[in-house]
Formats: sequence, structure tokens, C-alpha cells
Amino acid sequence: MPPIQQIDNIKKTYVKKSSAHAKRSRDISSIVCTPLILAASLLLAFGLLICWSAVQGDADYSFTRQLTGVAGGLVLMAIFWAIDYRKLGGASYILLAISVALILSPHLPVIGVTTMGATSWINIGMQVQPGEFAKVTVVLFAASLVARYGGKLDQPLEYCKVVLLLLIPFICIMSQPDLGTGLVYLFISAVTLVMGGARFKYLMITLALGILAIIGVFIIDEFLKYETESGEVEYKLLKQYQRSRLFVFMNQDSLSQTDDGYNLQQAMIAIGSGGLFGKGLGSSTQSSLGFLPEAPTDFIFCVLAEEFGFVGVLALLVMYGFLIYTSVRIARNCGNLFGMLIVCAIIGMWLFQILENIGMCCGLMPITGIPLPFVSYGSSFMIVNFAMLGLIASVYSHEADIGKGV
Amino acid sequence: MLVAVIAALITIIVLVGIISVVISVRSHRASQDQSATNDIAELENIGVSKDASIANDAQGDVRVRSGERPSSKPSDSLSRRFAALGVLAGGIFALLGAKAWTMQVMSSDEYSDKALDNLMTSVSTPAPRGCIYDRNGIALVNNRTSQTVLADPDVISDPDVMRRLSAVLGIPLGVVRQRISDSSAGAQSKRVVASDVRLRDVAFISEHADSFEGVSVESRTVRDYPYGALASHLIGYTGSPSQQELDSTSSGRVIESTDVVGKSGVELQYDNILSGDQGQRQLVVDAQGNTVDVISETSPVKGFDLHLTIDAHAQYVADMTLAQLIAPSGDIGTGKGVAGAVVAMDMKDGGVLAMASYPTFDPTYFTNGIPQEIWDLYNTDESNAPMINRVVNGQYAAASTFKAFTSMAGLQYGFANYDTTWNCTGSWDGFGSGDIQKCWNTKGHGTLDLHGGIVNSCDVVFYEIAKAFFDHGPEGTGELSDTALQDYIKQYRFGSTTGIDLADESIGRIPTPEWKAEHWKNVPSEAIWVGGDYSNMIIGQGDVLITPLQLAVAYGGIATGKIVKPHLMKEVKNNTGDSVVESDVEVVSEPDVNQEHLKYVCDSLHDMVSQSKAASEAFYEAGIDPALVSGKSGTAEHADRIPDAWFVTFGPYEDPRYVVVCVIEQGDGGADNAAPVAAKVMSALLGTDGKDDEVGHISGSSGRSVELQYSSSGGRQD
Repeated sequence: MPPIQQIDNIKKTYVKKSSAHAKRSRDISSIVCTPLILAASLLLAFGLLICWSAVQGDADYSFTRQLTGVAGGLVLMAIFWAIDYRKLGGASYILLAISVALILSPHLPVIGVTTMGATSWINIGMQVQPGEFAKVTVVLFAASLVARYGGKLDQPLEYCKVVLLLLIPFICIMSQPDLGTGLVYLFISAVTLVMGGARFKYLMITLALGILAIIGVFIIDEFLKYETESGEVEYKLLKQYQRSRLFVFMNQDSLSQTDDGYNLQQAMIAIGSGGLFGKGLGSSTQSSLGFLPEAPTDFIFCVLAEEFGFVGVLALLVMYGFLIYTSVRIARNCGNLFGMLIVCAIIGMWLFQILENIGMCCGLMPITGIPLPFVSYGSSFMIVNFAMLGLIASVYSHEADIGKGV
Repeated sequence: MLVAVIAALITIIVLVGIISVVISVRSHRASQDQSATNDIAELENIGVSKDASIANDAQGDVRVRSGERPSSKPSDSLSRRFAALGVLAGGIFALLGAKAWTMQVMSSDEYSDKALDNLMTSVSTPAPRGCIYDRNGIALVNNRTSQTVLADPDVISDPDVMRRLSAVLGIPLGVVRQRISDSSAGAQSKRVVASDVRLRDVAFISEHADSFEGVSVESRTVRDYPYGALASHLIGYTGSPSQQELDSTSSGRVIESTDVVGKSGVELQYDNILSGDQGQRQLVVDAQGNTVDVISETSPVKGFDLHLTIDAHAQYVADMTLAQLIAPSGDIGTGKGVAGAVVAMDMKDGGVLAMASYPTFDPTYFTNGIPQEIWDLYNTDESNAPMINRVVNGQYAAASTFKAFTSMAGLQYGFANYDTTWNCTGSWDGFGSGDIQKCWNTKGHGTLDLHGGIVNSCDVVFYEIAKAFFDHGPEGTGELSDTALQDYIKQYRFGSTTGIDLADESIGRIPTPEWKAEHWKNVPSEAIWVGGDYSNMIIGQGDVLITPLQLAVAYGGIATGKIVKPHLMKEVKNNTGDSVVESDVEVVSEPDVNQEHLKYVCDSLHDMVSQSKAASEAFYEAGIDPALVSGKSGTAEHADRIPDAWFVTFGPYEDPRYVVVCVIEQGDGGADNAAPVAAKVMSALLGTDGKDDEVGHISGSSGRSVELQYSSSGGRQD
């Protein structure tokens, strides 16, 4: 029997069952996870406030567009919420195909857009970043792929196959190239592997191989490096400007020597000068007077830190912590491995984006263009976050059909 | 770079290590607590089951057991991994929170200071410099406003704007491009495209601001010189500060690159007084440098006005007469001599009344930065160094003007008396060396006394006195030291600075055996002090070097008995017209000389003017009775070129007040060519030139010269 029909049958059974116990199963709390909604609403409200403040007086950004993103996200969230995620469980390769298509779409001749050396955008009336949307499909792909093994991925060959398949989206996005988003895919994949029950030994070997691969890139680059006409040393694999972005945070004595160094310095000044209670909403100097580059997008955390101070930062971290905690609860209580892995992958994605974005602003992490969930300006990522919320809600509410077993 | 990579890897390994330890500790505890099976495959969970054949079915095979409530959840077997996820999340939040704590709470002040540094800018408004006046209040240097068109450095990449500027301002496109690309005033600063732009053009540019992006018009205060090159050496010129001036804080004021500072003359000497106080604007600026808010503002205060001791009329006569003598057609070599200097001083108070040096420069050229072509022109050999102030930096052999001092030395040591006589045959070999020294009058002066020796400037008389110094020195009887003559002369401050209020005054040279030994240490045969050194020095030749100003001060010492410190500053007036600084007479020393000897020499100098045909004619021509003044000519001989002409005069005879010194490089006879210049300046001072107080425009020298013909008329005419 084809799987879809199977699922339909199951659904019918459930519908019958649930109508029999109408009162209990229509209990609103079994469909709506109040803590999740609460965490997301608080984050969204706080994020929109910061975003509104950051876009003031900058004609390049429009708060209305951000709100449009929120509206679009809400619609998408509702759709994902309504869909039974389990229908997607068997569609691993379709999800992979969609992911690859999305990631490679900026290479298409007419709609593809290249800015600042990266072919990451397509223009379909409005400019969107398909790599962002692919995060949703990558999450689903990784979860469905690993879920097949029922939490016991201990065959070496199968493990290798899974790892190689999971690497495909990363390899595709490096063709743009967009290392930041690529790292998000890798982190999603890694969290899925770990939480999907892959053998600890294999994971360690993979990690070691990953580190060796990084070292290998640098060693090979040392052999491939050449001198440009202007007499400077240039590398083939990891170009000088990329190296400068990656390592500027480690060399903070010479901060202002490059553009990235200047950006980081201004970002840190913005955060530090916020102090305990901040300068007040709209009273930032670093961002509103233009010293802080890319304030509404990559460096929006600095706007928050400057205007609301350490208290504001703590509030944001608590909200994120609440969101993550709620999501972990849902994952733990999920009776379905696929659903659990979806939620874990999403948690991994959020954790990585939070760490990388805030860490980058504080000088803890390399500079990459990774946005801050629910806060950064940009409708693509806003929609993606809502889709993720929709997926978690779907996992939560469809648990209700079969009993949560809490 | 490599270090960074290694550090990152170590961090990752350490993190993974910590997580693994946590996991293993938890799993150990879990295995003790839980006897339940960990085999997930046996769990009856709902979802994607493990036994689906992945190889066969790409869609995956979903098999669901319906109707049964799961007895456990997939997460049960993975609880330690959930714990690790929790540790990871907690670690991330703790790390970020801790970093935010250190930045925002621990070192917030440091970052706040940096944020303020970003915002606050202090912009200074240049203060107009004080004006410079002569002793009678005639303005020698004024300020005026100049409409200046400026362009941002990046206008260089906008050919349309440059083409429009060229068309409106009437400047060739190439010149516009060159001026905009000139970064000498600083890479960030705006470039001056044109100064003194017509108001019409300013209005056009302002009205069409869209077509002139990056172009701005400023009203700048610039130096104005109503009389051109008049007194240019003593006034000096102004310009943008050098890096050295920007770095120095010794003057007690902060100099900024947009300031104008004095570069030479009194503009440099009294820069702190003239410069005024800059206005300060404390601004809040955004990242593009636009002003967001003005926090405080103080207006600039104009510098104090400087009143000089200079008499503009005498200065005009000096500048004019020098120019007419040396370069009547504008080019050096068409008159007498190649360069010259005149200084006039009030001997009673040391105030300098005129200070002229030729060739000269017009400081007007320098108000907007010295144009390259002028700089190049003034650096050619042909231009004969117009920037040098020869009054204080020209060093010449003193020649016969020295005889006033050496004759007093002779009287002092008894080597000459009022009744001593000598016989001049036109040549002399008193040392018996066979190296015959000549008198300027090769026919000989016959028998004369010291008075006659001074009046006629007879060299032989002085050779005899020199011989007496030598004979009584260490080489002879040993009664005198070998610097007895020099020490006497040095009472008149030769060989040292006069102390005038100008920078880098030259000191000249009075040779001593010690100096000679040092000077010729590499040529021992030349280093020996010989009798000829005395006989050369005593007539102001040989190794003697003096500046015209030194001679003026020294003659002041003869005429009044006192050495005064010459000065240019009369008083400084503040912006309400009150005098804040006034110069006092400063007597440096009173030479310890016999007053009778002094009177004897003064009388001789008085008679010299009347008895010299050339000199007395010069004074008559200038409208002065030669009997009213005293003086001395001098002709400094050189082996290979025309002699330098000297004339020094002081008067009035009864109550000496003014001294005028004139030197003409390669001017030949002192009485013939230098005396007329000195006489005219003296006449201007005494008010006998019948030109009232005429002051006129003086042109900067052309920088060109023609070969001066060597037409020696067979010896000096001292």
C-alpha cells in the first residue's frame, strides 16, 4: 500500500476516534502549546520594537516590509501547523530535491541576483534569499532521513551514506558562496545526527574528519597561494577577505585596519556603551548616527544592547531560553522520532544562529551574515522562523491526536 | 592567522571534551538507574520505523501501528543526548550573558568613552591674524576677505564638475585637475580650486549647487599687503603649518592644519601675538561627518596688532633705492651690484627704522600657498636668493668700515697716538715676508696721521698698527695676548648676535688663532696664525665677516657710546586699541673705551664724509649737508669678483640719532655706489628729502639676472 494512502487511513481512524471523544481532544491546550505561543509572541514583540528603532531614519529599510514578512510568516505558520508533519516523513528525497533547487536557484539566468560577491538572491518581484527558505526543507530532510533509522544509526555504511546526503545542501550553498548559511545547514544536520541516535564513536570520527578537513583547506591553500599583481599574497580556496572576516575577532588589537575590523569595533562600542540600563529606545548614538554598519540586519543585537543595556540583553536571552526550553519539552514529549528530530533540528538552528549572531557582535565569533531569529530585519528569515514555529506547533498538536502521554 | 586557526580548533576540542565527559557521566548514572532496554528498535513507537527498507524505497516506508498508545517515547533512550543539548543551550546562553556582562557592566565606561569619541568633534574657526603697522600707524599688512572655491578630493573623479569649474572660473581644465589632486594641505582637506573669485562666479556656483557636487565656496580671511614687497623680509610671509609646527606644543597653543602661521620675519617671531584665539565649536556629528547638534560655540578672537619701529617712508626709500640701483630694468645685472641690504636704526632706542634686502619677494604670492612656479623661480641661481634677509643673514667682509674700531684699538694700546705719523708709499711689506700688501691708493698717501688714515682710509697706516699688535703679541715681546685686538673689537658685539627680534640671525666671524687652527686643522700649513692675519683683520678683510645689522649696532656704539639691542616691535595693541606690550630701550653694554679716543675717531668719521668727493656729492644730492653727518665707506675685495660696496653713516652730527648701513654685493666702490643709497635713506629719516612721507608699492624681484660685467677701474676707491 502506498504510504500516502496508509496515512489517510490512519487519519480517518483518528478523526473518528477524536470525534468520539470530542470534548477531550478538542481541548484547546492539546492543539495550542501556550508556552510556545507566549515565548514566540514576546520575542516577536521585542524584536519588532528593536527593528522599528533600528530602521528609523534609514531610507534603505522599511518597517512595513518587516511587518509584511510577519504577516506572510503567520500565514505559512498556520499552513504548517495545519499540515500533519508526519505526511512529510517519507519524502526525504523530494525534500532534498526541493532544498537543492532552492539553494541553486540564484544561479538561474534571469532571476538570479549577485551582490557583494555572493549569488544568494533571486528577484521575483521582490528580492528573496531562497537559501533561507531552504532551511525549512533542510530541517525536514535531515529529520526524515535520520528518523528512518529509528534512533539507532549504527551501521558504518548507512552512517556514511546519511552523512554524505546531509552534506549535499552545504556543498550546494558553498557554490553561491554563503558560508554562514552553510554552517547553519551543517549545524542542523549535526544536531539531527546526534539526536537521531548515531553512534557516539561515529560522531567523534566525523568531528575529527571535519577538523582535519578544515586544516586540510588551510594546508592546501598554503600550496595554492600566489602573489597578485599588486604584490599581495592571495589564496585560492579561502580568499583574504574571507580570512579577514573569519579571524578579525581573534585579532582585536588591529581592529580598525579593515572594514570588518571597523564594523566589529563599532559593534562592540555600541554594546559596551549601552551599560546596565541602556540609552533608551531611539536614543542610541552608534546606530542612529550611522557609526554601526548594517544595524537593522546583522548587527541588530547591538541596537538592542545599546538602547536597552544589559537588562535588555538579559531579557532577550531569557526569552530565547524560554523558547528553547519549551521546544525541548515538546521534543522530549513527542512520541514520534521524526517529530522529535524536527524540533531538535529547529532548536539546533536557533541555538546556532543566536550564538553566531550575538557572538559575532560581541567579538566572540567570526563575522558572518547570520541574522538573529525574530529580531533581525529581513522578511525571508522572518517567514522561515514562523514556518519553524508552525512545524513545532504541528508536532505538538498532532501529538494530541494520538495522546501526548505527558 | 595560523595561531587563530589553532586557537579555534583547540576551543572546539575542549568544548567537545567537556560535553563528552558530561555525557559519559550521565550515561554511567543512567545505566545504573535504568534497567530498561535501550534498544530503540524494540520500542513500539509511532513514526518512521527502522526496518523500512531504505535501499528499496526512496519514499520511505511508513508503518504505523494504530490504536495503541505508545508505552514510551523515542526521547527516552536519548535522554543523555537531550541533556547534552540542554548543556549546549545553557552554555551558549551563559557564554553570551557573561560576555554581555563584561562588556556592558564591567567595562562599560571604556566603551562609552569610545562612543563619545565617535560623536563629539571640536571644529575650530580660524581667527583673523592681527595687522602690522609701521611706527606712525601706516598699515603694512592688512586682512581682507577672499572668496575661495574649494572642492572635495573626490571631485577629481567627476570630469563634468571639473569641466564646469574650468568654464566658470576661467581656469584651464588641466590646472583645475592639478589643484584638486594636490594633497599637500592634507589628504582629507578640501582643495583650493581658486582664490579671489569674482562674486558673480560665486553666485553662479551657489545657484547651481546641483551641478557642482562636492564644490563649496568659503569666505576666507587672507593677508593683504598694500605696498606689495615693501619690507617683505622683515615682515615675512604666512602659510599652512608644517608637520613639525603641528607637532610642536612649545608655543603653548594648538596649531591645526587649517590654521595660517607665520613662516618668517615678524610674522614668525610674533606669531603667538598675531594669531589670535580660534573659535571653537563642539559638535555632535554622524558617521558621515554631518553636524547633528552644536553643543557649544565660542567666537574667534582676532590676533593683536603689531606696531613696528619701522618708518614706512624710510623703508620705501630704502627698498626703492636698492631696486633702482641693482635692477633698474627689473633684472639683476642691469645696474650696480647683484644684491644689497640697507638697515637704518635709531641708535638711542635700538628701534629699526628701515630694513631692506634686495632681491626681494612679494608675500602676496604666498597667501594661498606658495605657487610652485614662484618657488622654483626663487630657487634658481639667477634669482640670487630673494628669500634671504641680507640685513641679518648676509655675512660680508667688513672692509674699511672696520677701521673705526681698529683705530680705537690702536689708540687704546698706544700703537697710535694723536701725533703719530706714517708714510704711505702705496705698498707695504712690514713683516718682510716678501708678500707685499697694497694700499687701495697704489700711488700712496704720503705722510699722514691717524686722522688722515681714517679720513683717507689709508691701509698702510693700519698695517703698521697691525704690525705693532703682532710685535707685542706672543710671537714678539709677549706683552699682549694673541686676541687683544679681537677682544677689543668684540666689545662692539661683532661675532655675536645683536639680539634683534628675528629668528636665526647670523653671527659673523672675528678670526682668532684658535679659530684658525680649528678651521684649517686638515691643512696644517694654513692653520698657523701669522702677521698677515692681523694686517688683514685690521682693515676688515681676510676672515672677518659681519652682518649689516651688526655694523649698524656697532656704529651706534661709537656714536652714542652705548650698544643697544635692535628691535622691530614698538608695541602690541589689543583689539580695543590699548597697548599691551611696549618695547623698552635695552642697553646691552657700554664698551670700555677712552672717551677722548672715541671723540677723536668720531671727528675723523665726520670729516671723512665732507672730504670724500663721492660721498659728499651723494649727500648733497640727497638734500643733506655732508657736514651734518659722519660716515665711513668700505670696499670689500674678493680675489675673483667685483668688490662689495659698504657705506655707513650716522647723524645728525651734534646729537647723533640715526645710523644707516648699506651694503651692495659686487657694488664696487663704497663711496660711489653704497653712499648714495645710505644718503637717501638718511635724508628720508631726517625729513630733508622733500618727499614728505611718501610710501608706495614695491614689486617683488623678477628672479631674472644678466651677467654683471667686471669693470674694475683699477683698484679700490675707498
